[in-house]
Amino acid sequence: MDGGLAHGRAREAGRAPPALLRDEAELTAGVVIEPGRSYGFLTDTTLCIGCKACEVACKEWNNLPAETGKLTGHSYDNTGQLGANTWRHVTFKENGPREGTMAPFQSNWLMMSDVCKHCDPAPCLEACPTGALFRTEFDTVVVQQDICNGCGYCVPACPFGVVELSKDDGKAHKCTLCYDRLKGGLEPACAKSCPTDSIQFGVVEELQERADRRVEALHAQGQDKAYVYGAPGSPGATGGIRKLNAIFVLAERPEHYNLPPAPSRPARNAKPAFLSGLATMAGLAAVALLLGVGRR
Amino acid sequence: MSARIERPALPPAVQQEWRGETYHGRPVTKASSFDWKVSFYIVAVGIAGASQVIAAIANRQPEGAGLTRRARLLALAGSAIGPLVLVQHLKTRSRWYNMLRIFRPTSPMSMGSWLLTLFGGLSALTAMGEVLGRRWPFARRVSDAAQLPAAVTGAGMGVYTAGLLASTSTPLWAAAPAPLAAQFGTASVAGAASALALLQRAAGEVGSARRLETLALLAGAAELLAAGTTEKRLADKGLDGPLREGKTGALNATGGKAIGIAVPLVAHGIGRVIGGRAGALLPEIASFAMILGGAAMRHAVLRAGNESACRPDHAFRSTQRVRR
Repeated sequence: MDGGLAHGRAREAGRAPPALLRDEAELTAGVVIEPGRSYGFLTDTTLCIGCKACEVACKEWNNLPAETGKLTGHSYDNTGQLGANTWRHVTFKENGPREGTMAPFQSNWLMMSDVCKHCDPAPCLEACPTGALFRTEFDTVVVQQDICNGCGYCVPACPFGVVELSKDDGKAHKCTLCYDRLKGGLEPACAKSCPTDSIQFGVVEELQERADRRVEALHAQGQDKAYVYGAPGSPGATGGIRKLNAIFVLAERPEHYNLPPAPSRPARNAKPAFLSGLATMAGLAAVALLLGVGRR
Repeated sequence: MSARIERPALPPAVQQEWRGETYHGRPVTKASSFDWKVSFYIVAVGIAGASQVIAAIANRQPEGAGLTRRARLLALAGSAIGPLVLVQHLKTRSRWYNMLRIFRPTSPMSMGSWLLTLFGGLSALTAMGEVLGRRWPFARRVSDAAQLPAAVTGAGMGVYTAGLLASTSTPLWAAAPAPLAAQFGTASVAGAASALALLQRAAGEVGSARRLETLALLAGAAELLAAGTTEKRLADKGLDGPLREGKTGALNATGGKAIGIAVPLVAHGIGRVIGGRAGALLPEIASFAMILGGAAMRHAVLRAGNESACRPDHAFRSTQRVRR
């Protein structure tokens, strides 16, 4: 009747889809998008089937060029990494036969749709000298293409290797969490296209609760390895990074998904460097004074 | 350090110790696009910055007019050429002025842009007195008033580039912020003192050049200590590979240490023992070697960092524990 558009939560509320989809996200993701709240992703890797619909939807909506790639030999991952033209990247890792009583019918695939974490605070944003990187009214982190001058400092600043300079236009690019779609009341393209709801879009606090409930459910079902990555107090939200706005439910150590277990805010290193550096300069200036530099 | 260091909370069922697993050996972080132009800038503004520190000290001496003059002009040259080369590194060069669009205290590159602007302006003021001072005595008074702020910002110019590299997620750069800054600072002073020693010798002020050469040697010795501390910390964290191996390792060992510190030490030593005309060229060789070595060290650190960013084991090794 609703063409499969209406989200379960919208149906439960007894709301019929309106004729004009002003708040389409309410139907497709069960959330109304309003400026001033924090939005993000919950990527539940235990539901990912590796279809790469998110990668395709992202490229379609954001008009990103295809990677004219080669075969990597890394399981089904021929995308390789996130980059200037790839803002969703499905990782595939085959960890050998499953443990337990189940027959080893598959190679124990770990699949995860990786994305920009929209960190809070965001190291790329803290590094950006031009203000091209900014925090939007939806608490997401976006590069303004008309301001970026391609200095490239955000690239090594990112603890997750997300941001990249484009060889085509010399600007930094990354996931915008579909800023344009959010402005129009639509959920991001990747989340909307995900057929298993492995990628869920919503308000960050709600997603954190949902992730906790999902982990409890998985533990009850016997998947006792499941845990949350990126919520406050969990791996990924460490070293001065309060939270990630794109959180994950993982079922192995973070390294299997190419995620650092305890990333930290690189800007914290500035203070010890400056203090030590200035002390060094002061010390050598004193030496120069003692040596009588300037005398004949 | 009193920082609490602990493991991030993983469920007990997950293997607790990292056993070297990676994602198909793929990099975790991305390497910077920083190349020789950035290294050149680091060296040029390092020499310029330390020159202003030396100018401020020489300016206190009644006989220091010649050295002050040369140090101020060298600082102006460095603060003009450095940024011109650095802008070439931007991938959208026409927008270089966006560097002064905002003021962002968390970004060493933003703070560095403002520092460079301030330092460049002050260097222009101090140089102005040297150029116009004879005809217009007021210019000399402006120069002398600008000298102390020029020296303070100059000290910043000599070291902020290390803070800039350290404030990234590149494991090798971020591993030892304090010793790295000491390394860059000492190299800046050694480079400026050597460059000015060359100028003083060319101008016939041999005694003044000798003092500068002694300063350069002491700075070089301090650089060796700082480099040792940096490399020890890198080794402790298992991140020392890129600075020891291959071309970058050779650049660091041969360029940074042998040419930058050992050769000057020996050349100055022999030069002072022999003295007179027999040892006339040795101090010059030593000073040239010191400047080259400082540049080699900075370029080696830059390259090693880019290499480190591509190694997943580096990224994972440096993110195993939580630093609160």
